[in-house]
Amino acid sequence: MIDATLIPWIVTGVPLLGAGLTPALWTHPHRLMTWSVGVCTVSLASLVGFAGFLTTPPEGLLLLFLLPLAAGMSLLGQPHHRDHRASWVLTLIFLGLGLGALTSQPVVDKLFLMAIHGFVIVLLYRHHTPLWPISWWGLGAYTLGALCLLLTLVAAPPLSSMAALLACTILLPVVPFHDGHLTALTRLPGNLPSFMVLLFPALGLHSLAPIAATLPDSVVWVMSILALAGTAYGAIKALAQSRVRLLLAYSSLSFFSMLWWCVVTTRSVTPRAALFVGAVGLVMCGLLVAWQIIRTRYGDDVDPQAISGLASTMPQYAVLLSLLALAAMGLPPFGVFAGFMGLLLSSTAAFSAGIVILVCAWLAASWYILAFVQGLLFGVRRTDLRHADLLQTELVSLIILVLTLLALGVIPISLFGPDRTTPPASANSGSFAWNR
Amino acid sequence: MSFILLIPLLLLAAALIVLIGRDDTRGLRAKIAAYPIGAAFCGAIGTLYVVAVQGPISIRFYDPGSVASLIFPIGFYIDRLSAIMMTLIAGVSTLIFVYSTGYMYQDRHMRRYLALICFTDFVLICMVSSANLMMLFLFWQILSYLLYLLAHNHEHAATLKGAFNTFTLLRVADAAFLAGIVLAYGVYGTLEFQELFARATERPVALSLWPGIDINAATAVTLLIFVGAMGKSAQFPLHFWLPRSLYAPTPVHALLHAGIINAGGFLINRLAPLFGLSSTTLHVAFVVGTLTAVLGASMMLAQNDIKKTLGFSTIAQMGYMIMECGLGAFSLAVFHLIAHGLFKATVFLNCGNVIHKARQEPHVPHVDQQEEKENFSPLAWSTGFVTTLVIPLVILLVTHGVLRIPLLESQGTVIFLFFIWLTSSQAILTLTRLRAIASWKVSSAMLLTLLFVVFVYLFAVESFTAFLYPNPVEVASYFQAADLPNWLFDSIVLMATIMTVLSWCYLYMQAHGRTIWMPTWVSRWIEGGRNGLYVLFMNRLYADELYQLLGRTVMRIVHRFDKRERGWSR
Repeated sequence: MIDATLIPWIVTGVPLLGAGLTPALWTHPHRLMTWSVGVCTVSLASLVGFAGFLTTPPEGLLLLFLLPLAAGMSLLGQPHHRDHRASWVLTLIFLGLGLGALTSQPVVDKLFLMAIHGFVIVLLYRHHTPLWPISWWGLGAYTLGALCLLLTLVAAPPLSSMAALLACTILLPVVPFHDGHLTALTRLPGNLPSFMVLLFPALGLHSLAPIAATLPDSVVWVMSILALAGTAYGAIKALAQSRVRLLLAYSSLSFFSMLWWCVVTTRSVTPRAALFVGAVGLVMCGLLVAWQIIRTRYGDDVDPQAISGLASTMPQYAVLLSLLALAAMGLPPFGVFAGFMGLLLSSTAAFSAGIVILVCAWLAASWYILAFVQGLLFGVRRTDLRHADLLQTELVSLIILVLTLLALGVIPISLFGPDRTTPPASANSGSFAWNR
Repeated sequence: MSFILLIPLLLLAAALIVLIGRDDTRGLRAKIAAYPIGAAFCGAIGTLYVVAVQGPISIRFYDPGSVASLIFPIGFYIDRLSAIMMTLIAGVSTLIFVYSTGYMYQDRHMRRYLALICFTDFVLICMVSSANLMMLFLFWQILSYLLYLLAHNHEHAATLKGAFNTFTLLRVADAAFLAGIVLAYGVYGTLEFQELFARATERPVALSLWPGIDINAATAVTLLIFVGAMGKSAQFPLHFWLPRSLYAPTPVHALLHAGIINAGGFLINRLAPLFGLSSTTLHVAFVVGTLTAVLGASMMLAQNDIKKTLGFSTIAQMGYMIMECGLGAFSLAVFHLIAHGLFKATVFLNCGNVIHKARQEPHVPHVDQQEEKENFSPLAWSTGFVTTLVIPLVILLVTHGVLRIPLLESQGTVIFLFFIWLTSSQAILTLTRLRAIASWKVSSAMLLTLLFVVFVYLFAVESFTAFLYPNPVEVASYFQAADLPNWLFDSIVLMATIMTVLSWCYLYMQAHGRTIWMPTWVSRWIEGGRNGLYVLFMNRLYADELYQLLGRTVMRIVHRFDKRERGWSR
């Protein structure tokens, strides 16, 4: 019988060990890719096997299962090229550290988080170019995050609590601390953006869970204002974007800000919140993988408006991208809709201006996501371009992502942890205040 | 009763039969797929019989008491309303599918198209048989996206633009619907239909919008949901997606105008007990419906394209249907939507033939109106007089005395009778051209036909109401909730009377070459007004241009914000 205290180390160790053995396959990109995906699969299997022995956090175990899945799928969606080897190995390292941060006891989890921040800072510094001076802000955000994590370890409350909250705002993005999120999604190499879009918010939600209930009223007020501002800001910025990665980054910012509002107003992190984070992260992962497929074929700086009519030339890609877009627009029966409805229905206020802003941002997603997908898939077919439909690995990656999103939309949340959400006070006669 | 589940599953199976298989067998598979759809129609008829005899059927795959299961609660609740809608949808779908297999035979995307048609039918059937508001909303949204996909020819720029506009506009309505659901759940703590109605009836709740400004929760919920219904049923000012979607294949229109667009009317009927609690929402529905009916009909008259004409005719009819809901006549709205659905499906499936014929034969459409000698006919005048003034009085008396409809307590019924009067007067004028009538036989036949049609209609509506809402107290309560203030009711009746009589006189005199004397400036003003209105309605109130301007303005503001703000898009 394995000691329960060892289990977090085992689940952390599997991907890290896998990363440690990659030098043996370094000269064979194809084998390295197969190995990395295999490690992710073993990691997922080990998590499923040990799930019963792990302490269930307030947000449940869903995110724990989704991390190796997202890592594996982001790897599968990549072309087998030697330039991407470093990002594959880093994916395994980030996966190991991420699982460590999610399963370890307090203090140790902070160390894992600091290690993740350290790696990201180094990566962003290495990939910084003078053409993107704004990425200094992202580097600064992650440095601030690392400092805040250090403070939570060495300082006493209330400073440590504030530092913990600040660290959460960088991981689970909200304005004005969203630069790190934007930098990570636009500047990190290879498949890392498509994995990080789930990893960071998942870690942020996990870190937020213990402090959500203890937030003072004034902090709740400030955070709810920031969350609503972030929701609107993300949606407006996404509407204006022509670059796909930025569009997805701002879109995810808008969605994660919605989550912030729901968490701070209810002062609790529930499996519903994890479902929302997992679904949004996974759908963004899928869209980034889908965009990577286009970049692989048509170049890095391709304008999505310049390629049209893929529905007839790349039918498999078109169907899967359409389904991902449906999920990203918050349409049923996918996980984003389920998570969004779960959050709204568990909101403490019967109705409020906040909900109106959330619904408007949800509506805006239909506009910008559809415009992006429509530009790619429909319109006049470009006969001057060479078209090649999905490779087998790309196809598998997108199919698994779509099926997972579908599963997240239909399976009961209670499967991943006890849902302590209570139904609203049903129909008391009298008066409800509009919560302005 | 689990056999009922076969109805949507058969439609899903039909979609799969069409979709999966080799391309060279697609014709054969399309023919095979018609059988499950036909079987679904037979199943729907069987369900209607079972429901009528044994009462509502409820099948739930979730625990209504559990919050965790609320996110995707799959369940079916089939009462008479659902069964009627299922029969209509399945019946029309069978015809449309069979028609489509021939119509789309040489289209290279036939397989995708037919599969989408079957899937849309599946979604519609699931939507009308939903056990709760959440499931209804799920399928409601999927329907919005399917309308985007059904535009079919996505390589055509105008089609694509229309499809995009359709989807985004429907999403605006969906957002309001979503807000209504969240509010309903927040206030009443349930989305199960029966529980929701019971809680809303038992415990009225007031929402405080602002200190001193309260709104009834039922009003707030129903107003938000009504906006959702306005979108799907193309009500003013959310109507313009319908004419824009006219590039889609003709069978899609038949399905759209006979099935999908009725979703709004169905939603209001499904939530009738909740709508019945809010007079304000019913009055809003009455105003919106009336406005849509008037504007839709006016725009229809000024169009020069057969599909657009039919599209605006549908908008007008949907306005009429919503107006009926606004008057508390929920069952009449369902009766209307069935009648209109069947009629419009027939017309749309036929319009291709007319267009084809017009292209092939120079004499189509026929011009067979001959100039007639302008003379005054006392017999024709008498017929008109009887039609406009005497018959309504007879109808009112008979309705009150023989059919025992309490007119004095029911404003809605009186307004409907006025509408029947207006419609029949219009029909007499349009169809028979009074100036041509100089025979007492024709006049008598016309009057008798009119009387017959009106009474059969009243009888059918009364029977249908008794079938759909067997409890007369419930029906009376809806009418009561929809009662307008007395002054407004009297004004409407008076105005309708004056307008009908004056219009009739004007048209009659014009038909006989007589004119009403009026000062020159008044004549010019009227002539200018008529021309201006014609141009306005021909251009569909410039709604497309206004919405484009709105869209451009929003995007300009968004881009200006994006440029000013320090950010990544620089």
